[in-house]
Amino acid sequence: MTAPTTTDYAATRPLPPGKVRTRRSVIALVIVVATVWSVSGLQVTLDRLLGAPGDAWAILRQMTPPAFSEVYERGALGKILESVYIAWIGTIIGAALSLPLAFLAAHNVAPHWVRVPIRQLFNAIRAVPELILAVIFIPITGLGAWAGTMAIGIHSIGTLGKWAAESIESIDDGPIEAVEACGGRWASEMRWAVLPQVMPNIASYWLFRFEINVRASAVLGMIGAGGVGSELVLHLSFRNFPAACAVLLMTITVVLTIDTVSAAVRRRIIRGATGTEDEASRSTEALVDLTGLRR
Amino acid sequence: MTLTAEGPIRPNRPRTRPLTYAVAASLVAGTTWAAVKVGFDPSTFWKVWSNPLWEKFWPVPWDWVFDGRNVIRPLIETFQIAIVSTVIGCGLALPISFAMSSLTTPNRPTYLVSRAVMNVVRAVPDLFWAKLLVTAIGIGAFAGSWALSVFSLAVMVKLFSETVDGADPRPLEAARSAGGRHAPVVRTGVLPSVFPAYVAYALYVFELNIRASIVLGLVGAGGIGRVIEAQRQFFRFDRVLGILMIIFVAVWVIEHVSVALRKRLT
Repeated sequence: MTAPTTTDYAATRPLPPGKVRTRRSVIALVIVVATVWSVSGLQVTLDRLLGAPGDAWAILRQMTPPAFSEVYERGALGKILESVYIAWIGTIIGAALSLPLAFLAAHNVAPHWVRVPIRQLFNAIRAVPELILAVIFIPITGLGAWAGTMAIGIHSIGTLGKWAAESIESIDDGPIEAVEACGGRWASEMRWAVLPQVMPNIASYWLFRFEINVRASAVLGMIGAGGVGSELVLHLSFRNFPAACAVLLMTITVVLTIDTVSAAVRRRIIRGATGTEDEASRSTEALVDLTGLRR
Repeated sequence: MTLTAEGPIRPNRPRTRPLTYAVAASLVAGTTWAAVKVGFDPSTFWKVWSNPLWEKFWPVPWDWVFDGRNVIRPLIETFQIAIVSTVIGCGLALPISFAMSSLTTPNRPTYLVSRAVMNVVRAVPDLFWAKLLVTAIGIGAFAGSWALSVFSLAVMVKLFSETVDGADPRPLEAARSAGGRHAPVVRTGVLPSVFPAYVAYALYVFELNIRASIVLGLVGAGGIGRVIEAQRQFFRFDRVLGILMIIFVAVWVIEHVSVALRKRLT
């Protein structure tokens, strides 16, 4: 005979349907009220709302056919390539500065008093958008590609550092112990025990960040920080829609090509030549890491 | 272990292939070329501190910043843009994601077309959408919320359709074999298992939209960015800094609330 076990069933029991329904309607009400309040603040009138699709369609009609030759002669291809260069150098600056910091931010290899300020630094950097950083850098470096590169490089430190620190935190401790047992110092532990374990992940994060940065650097041109954005703004403000459409299509092509190639390289880095692991999308994983959304 | 005169037997270190050298060399060359093209100048890192413009960032004129009309009202407009576009984008994303997943798509053409369209939509950066729509339907928050709606739709379908891909196919099969039509089958077979992920992604997209809506104003699409752009052109960097601090606090609060909500969900 065993004593009757007393379990708190009330805690594990699902909510009665009535309560679930109340909670659902409260949530729905909150969303509806928030939406109505927001719409009321946006100066939306009925004729604007009904006119918007027509206006968008009119612009779309004026955009065809895209004027590729005109844009090409103005050197739009060079501008797009400049965007890619900005993204690449920005990513390298971010990677180079974030890698050492990541080792100091991981809880299994760094002491508390070093870790906390560096984590806060990453968070602070992530909170400032690239465009705002570029706004700050432009008066210092002057208009041009270098301002955008600095903005992207600095902003990348935040996310890259966070992702790298999290992969360092999820390593196997065995090798660290082995290096310690051989009399290695902290630096040799990092070099021979930690780095080989995390490098594939970190490299794939760098590439993923590069993909994001290509889009970001295209945008940076819009405020004069180098790259293709300035072309688009120029054509749109002169209402030269065929040219704007051509620039847009060229940008889309380059962005999609880079995404595809980079995704293939990332898969190769993570899975190796013969790997058969499940094909979880790295971008989703990275986004999941980015937001602390673990499932 | 057999110890020979040469020491313990170890595997040979694999030889580096010529291809590896070629890749490394081309990477170095490409990087150098790109660095020249962007005007790489490491001195900026230390010159930054001796720039005379820094004096313009301080002191922050707090009475100007806290005067309701200057900063607070555009900031509220920013959040309104983010809320509207999250609701529109995420609402539309639900059916489209189901069309985009091979598990729940109604038919092959829908699957291919929705995928192709969404890939192209996502390839256009958010501010390009904003600029296009500002040109099309006029300056202001209205164009900004359309732009962010389109962009959050693109992000949301990417995230959520991948979750639907990974859903358990067995309830779906059961519902199908019970003779359900397509929409009710998806509604009862897949939606319950992926709905928590949907809500979590929606909150994440909301955070993205808050960040994105801050910079929308730089291209004339409403919100706090408009104020930043105006003050920047007058070289009032002290005001810019004050605005940035307010934004920083607001975003920080919203992010923590959102993360806390998501933790409760999952």
